[in-house]
Amino acid sequence: MGQVELKSIHKSFGPTAVLDDINLKIADKEFVVVVGPSGCGKSTLLRVVAGLEEASSGALLFDGRAVNALSPGERNVAMVFQNYALYPHLSVATNIGFGLRRAAMSRREKREAVERTARLLEIEPLLKRRPGALSGGQRQRVAMGRAIIRNPAVFLFDEPLSNLDARLRMQMRSEIRGLHSKLPTTTLYVTHDQVEAMTMADRVVVMNAGRIEQIGTPSQIYDTPRTTFVARFMGMPSMNMISARYDGDALVLPDARVPVPADWPERLGPWVGRALLLGLRPEHLSLRASPGGVPATVDLTEPTGSETLVYLHHGDTRLAARTPPDTRLRRGDQVHLDLRLDRATLFDPDTALALPTLPADPSKTGETV
Amino acid sequence: MADQSAHPAKDPLARIAAPAITSADATPVRQRRAGAAARILSGPLPWLLPALGVLGLFYLYPIFEAVRLAFTDARLFDTETQLSMRSISSMVGSSTLGVILRNTLTYTVASVVGQIALGLAIALLVMRAERARLRGTLALRTIVLAAWVIPAIANGIIWQLLFSEAPFGAINSALRLMGVAPVAWLSDPSNAMTSAVIATIWQGTAYSMILLYAALKTIDPALYEAAAIDNARPWERFWFITLPHLRAALVVNAILILIMTLNMFDTILALTGGGPGRATEILSLYAYGTVFQNFELGRGAALSMLLLVISLGLTVVLIALLPRDRR
Ligand SMILES: Nc1ncnc2c1ncn2[C@@H]1O[C@H](COP(=O)(O)OP(=O)(O)OP(=O)(O)O)[C@@H](O)[C@H]1O
Ligand SMILES: [Mg+2]
Repeated sequence: MGQVELKSIHKSFGPTAVLDDINLKIADKEFVVVVGPSGCGKSTLLRVVAGLEEASSGALLFDGRAVNALSPGERNVAMVFQNYALYPHLSVATNIGFGLRRAAMSRREKREAVERTARLLEIEPLLKRRPGALSGGQRQRVAMGRAIIRNPAVFLFDEPLSNLDARLRMQMRSEIRGLHSKLPTTTLYVTHDQVEAMTMADRVVVMNAGRIEQIGTPSQIYDTPRTTFVARFMGMPSMNMISARYDGDALVLPDARVPVPADWPERLGPWVGRALLLGLRPEHLSLRASPGGVPATVDLTEPTGSETLVYLHHGDTRLAARTPPDTRLRRGDQVHLDLRLDRATLFDPDTALALPTLPADPSKTGETV
Repeated sequence: MADQSAHPAKDPLARIAAPAITSADATPVRQRRAGAAARILSGPLPWLLPALGVLGLFYLYPIFEAVRLAFTDARLFDTETQLSMRSISSMVGSSTLGVILRNTLTYTVASVVGQIALGLAIALLVMRAERARLRGTLALRTIVLAAWVIPAIANGIIWQLLFSEAPFGAINSALRLMGVAPVAWLSDPSNAMTSAVIATIWQGTAYSMILLYAALKTIDPALYEAAAIDNARPWERFWFITLPHLRAALVVNAILILIMTLNMFDTILALTGGGPGRATEILSLYAYGTVFQNFELGRGAALSMLLLVISLGLTVVLIALLPRDRR
């Protein structure tokens, strides 16, 4: 019913390529979040799927059928825009029911459909108002209502929550997810907010400069980033990147030698003596009570209540560590860190790609969903 | 340096002393007596006075003077005038006035509707072309606007040449080339009004176009995208998005064009002179002729009053059409 496939989609505006060889297959009812920095082409990708932009080349298939030549209205997609794009001169009820104008339904059925949708989104009392008389969160719901009511094959969201305050954003995040489980529909959701990506997606697509960097479940993206870009972009604070060299039985850091897990020598054979980037999430650095491990100097601590983020440096390398809430450290304190190398990702500094051999054993990556 | 130390903000002592210095400068007696005057002076009135003065001198006074003249039997070169209702009663009783008012109605409604419709059409076309990233939209806008820059009297002369029934008449020449019989544009009383309306629309369209184009520019393009996804037909987009958004601009545009058209007489003066017969004589032209050809100043003033009342009445009607929040 709602399978979407993009086959080597390219899009350029004049000489500038905005989408470069995009390949993506979205299963029916799947919730896919596209995330990436500003200007990487997320909106353009969404607009190509919607039919608001024409792909320069490549094929777009809905359920195996090419839809490149169809107009947006013929594609049976619904879109929620960043600024909602509600029709300002129509009432909320008319806005929601707008997509039913040509549906084969009686007036009464249409009105009931509008009321049902409004009830689902808890905006029944607003039906007579104009969009101008609504709050941001209410407009958001009306925009969703307008999309839902048509029962489309595909939902498209373009940063729908970016105009809301933090609390409302969190609430709408779970509401959209809840809606998706109530009305399972193929969804392509664009955001630059990695928290939205991690919390909402069945699968995440990380984009950078018009290309797809990685596609995977949130935990795959988080635990086994394929490129340094993904590693840095996803996660807050982002993944620590430490220049290192493997000398055969230990990792040589700027100012320390760290023994490696038992299975590394076998896998890292070809990398002996070569420069590497050691990627470690902040939660995989821990403070040691006793000397040893990796020495570092504290720059800043950020207690958040549930944990304390400690920013440090080791040589020239800046590091972040997630520590228990009772950590008491001050700027300039010398500490020693334990690195959980079994959770590390190693990158080739020349290609910025993760080493294909590590981690090889999926059970080691700890699929925590 | 000395200046700086005396500055109130710099020197705490000066700051304390400052109010005392000010009140010592002003004459205390006048200040106490003129409490109310001071309040008025500190309000908006002093700032509005210059504008009120100019408006009063150049707009209100002539209107007042015209009203006064309407109640006299003044003639243009006759200083002896006396109060009289003769101007007004002869105007109301005249059989010509009916013809003139009917002409005015036809001419004004056709011109206003034509200018708005054509201006809107061109503005939509330009927007459309810009959205399709076509080139030449700036040139198009400039050309349309060029018509607006031509003085109305010159416009009348240009159209007189175009409509001319002599062998060099441009439109008739073109018709002849296409094998169509020439048309008596200006000499046939039943065609002359159409010709006058065409000439007026041609010139006034630019104004509507620019005004409506500016209003169209303020519509969020995402609305049209949302409508495209909702599978809205072009007329639905126009009806549900464009037209409601343009409502205020259309009404304001209509008011301005209405007033300009009601007062327009130079184009017609140059084109037909109001003829043939009285076929294209509208109220403004009639008032002009009454004063400057028949020298009946009092009657002309009465006719101008009638024009003013009609303008005001129609404007009030149009303002009622404005969206509530724009009134
Ligand atoms: N109509 C256009 N003409 C020319 N360039 C465009 C056009 N639309 C987008 N671009 C360019 O394409 C690139 C990608 O734009 P896009 O809107 O897809 O980015 P985005 O990832 O959605 O960014 P953001 O997070 O800021 O919304 C940008 O560099 C932008 O300048
Ligand atoms: Mg965007």
